[in-house]
Amino acid sequence: MSDIHPLVERPPRSVVAVVGVLLVVAPLVLPSFQTYLLTEVLALALFATGFNLLYGYTGLLSFGHAMFFGTAGYTVGIFMRDVAPGLGLGGATPLVGFLIAGVLGVLVAVAVAVPVGYLSVRLEEIYFAMITLSFSMALYVLAIQNYLGLTNGSDGFSVILGTATLGGFDLALYDRVTYYYLTLLVVAPAMYLLWRIVRSPFGLVSEAIRENAERTGALGVGVRTHRWAAFVVSALFTGVAGVLIAPLHGSLSPGANLHWSISAEPVIITVFGGPYTFIGPTIGAFFFEYIRWGITQFPVLEAHWQLIFGTLILGIVLFAPRGVSGFVSWVVSRATGGESA
Amino acid sequence: MTAGLPIQEILTGLSIGSRLFLVALGLSLIFGVLGVLNFAHGAFYMVGAYATASIVGAAGGNFWVAAVGAALTVGLLGAVVEFGLIRRIYDRNELDQLILTFALVLIISDLTRTIWGSGTQTVETPAAFAGNVPVLGVSFPAYRLFVIVVAFLAMGVFWYVLTRTYVGQLVRATSSDRDMAALLGVDVPRLYTGVFAVGSVLAGLGGALTTPIQSFTPALGDQVIINAFVVVVIGGLGSFTGAFVGAMLIGLFQSFGVLVATGVNQLLPFLAMILVLIFRPEGLFGGEEL
Repeated sequence: MSDIHPLVERPPRSVVAVVGVLLVVAPLVLPSFQTYLLTEVLALALFATGFNLLYGYTGLLSFGHAMFFGTAGYTVGIFMRDVAPGLGLGGATPLVGFLIAGVLGVLVAVAVAVPVGYLSVRLEEIYFAMITLSFSMALYVLAIQNYLGLTNGSDGFSVILGTATLGGFDLALYDRVTYYYLTLLVVAPAMYLLWRIVRSPFGLVSEAIRENAERTGALGVGVRTHRWAAFVVSALFTGVAGVLIAPLHGSLSPGANLHWSISAEPVIITVFGGPYTFIGPTIGAFFFEYIRWGITQFPVLEAHWQLIFGTLILGIVLFAPRGVSGFVSWVVSRATGGESA
Repeated sequence: MTAGLPIQEILTGLSIGSRLFLVALGLSLIFGVLGVLNFAHGAFYMVGAYATASIVGAAGGNFWVAAVGAALTVGLLGAVVEFGLIRRIYDRNELDQLILTFALVLIISDLTRTIWGSGTQTVETPAAFAGNVPVLGVSFPAYRLFVIVVAFLAMGVFWYVLTRTYVGQLVRATSSDRDMAALLGVDVPRLYTGVFAVGSVLAGLGGALTTPIQSFTPALGDQVIINAFVVVVIGGLGSFTGAFVGAMLIGLFQSFGVLVATGVNQLLPFLAMILVLIFRPEGLFGGEEL
């Protein structure tokens, strides 16, 4: 919204550059587990930013984004388990196999989103949240019941990356640092694309729809078609995040990839970070991940992580509806002494 | 088993539906009047179940005292939540309210685990309804029959209060136009707290009556809230006839679904919800006044 400070909404190039350098250098100095956490932050940031294209920018709260996250992940897992080993590309097989699996995963997420989106965007507000919830829960039940014999029911199955040999050089894809850079190579351009999308006429129309759908329609915009398009684009990026998480976690299961509590994750992250800035969900992902990790460092806190998260969300909804980015923006505008834009 | 109607499945379905009805009625009532979709309603139901287990212990095994005590405890909890939290964000959008009540789910689940532990709890069937009774040629657990009767009674009482009493008039008036009702002298905030508390009592009662039928853990609330959402969406958010029909329908889906194939009983409710939202988004009985 307009009361976000410009330094937060459009950070100067120097800040972006510093953050970029930090992200590239980080795994070289961080301990292995911290690299893993940072990889997860990147994937979650993409998950939540993709989700927020629909929520913060278009004004539709999806409570079923796990269906794209999960179907993309499951596609990766199934392809890598059943198809990739037989590709016969020599040393390049593990890498090429994963890349094909990833592309297929995103395509499947989009293929799910096209019909589901068409049916869902006819509804708004609570009804939209409810229909996306029911679609994702139907997929959740299908994965548990294992009707096609592909998902191994509620136990799920594991996703293991191999070691690729390229020109005599071994690349262990499962290595945390390697996988971090692979993730960064995907997430950075994806985030840039998303940034371009929200800045484009497409993104501006989305915001207009969020603010007043009726008036935007009267200006000649096909509101339903536009929402449908935003839905599919949002699912596409969510699918990319789902692809990246599957081998990072090393396993897939209905509970960890398709359950409604997974759909709640980008909601929580976005509420944390603030839905009305581009960077909000990324800041949210950072906080979400490190609070979650911080909690596990203390058994007393770990036993009560729900209480901690619940209280945080409650506090943010009641006192800081624009999330951490809104708060940062307030601090920046106070510090710079200027009025907020 | 008698030829013709599968009485056993129908009764089982109605008994599942009856428990769902109590919790869905509260959810629908709160949405219809306050416009808040209470994600924490399942957590309230769970607190009802746990409170029953505790009070049964304290009340020397008297289930009835425990059930009433639990329902009232949850009603009080609801009043506090409405008064302390939800009231502060009435002027915000529905999504903020949904997220706030989702935060309450986390908090209440955590506190429940802290107070009662995460083990499985059971409550004995009250002596008066132990055993089976013959119904239409089949032998059916007496207690489940009792729960069905309670659901029908609750339906009757709500229909009567909402359509035939002064308080019901005030509730319906506020539901259809809050500002006009306030101008005409209705104390809207007090009425909201009251309605939220009554809706919570129903969730607590649903939880309490469930305890003799199924053992439960802190996951109970999560299981129930999704089913309750399905019920109220199918029936029509805000419609109490809809909550009744929706609950019974889902109950029957569950009891008949298992006959078709495994998992179908879990899948059917979501498919039904999708179909209703596509073809009749206001729900089977939506659009009618409370």
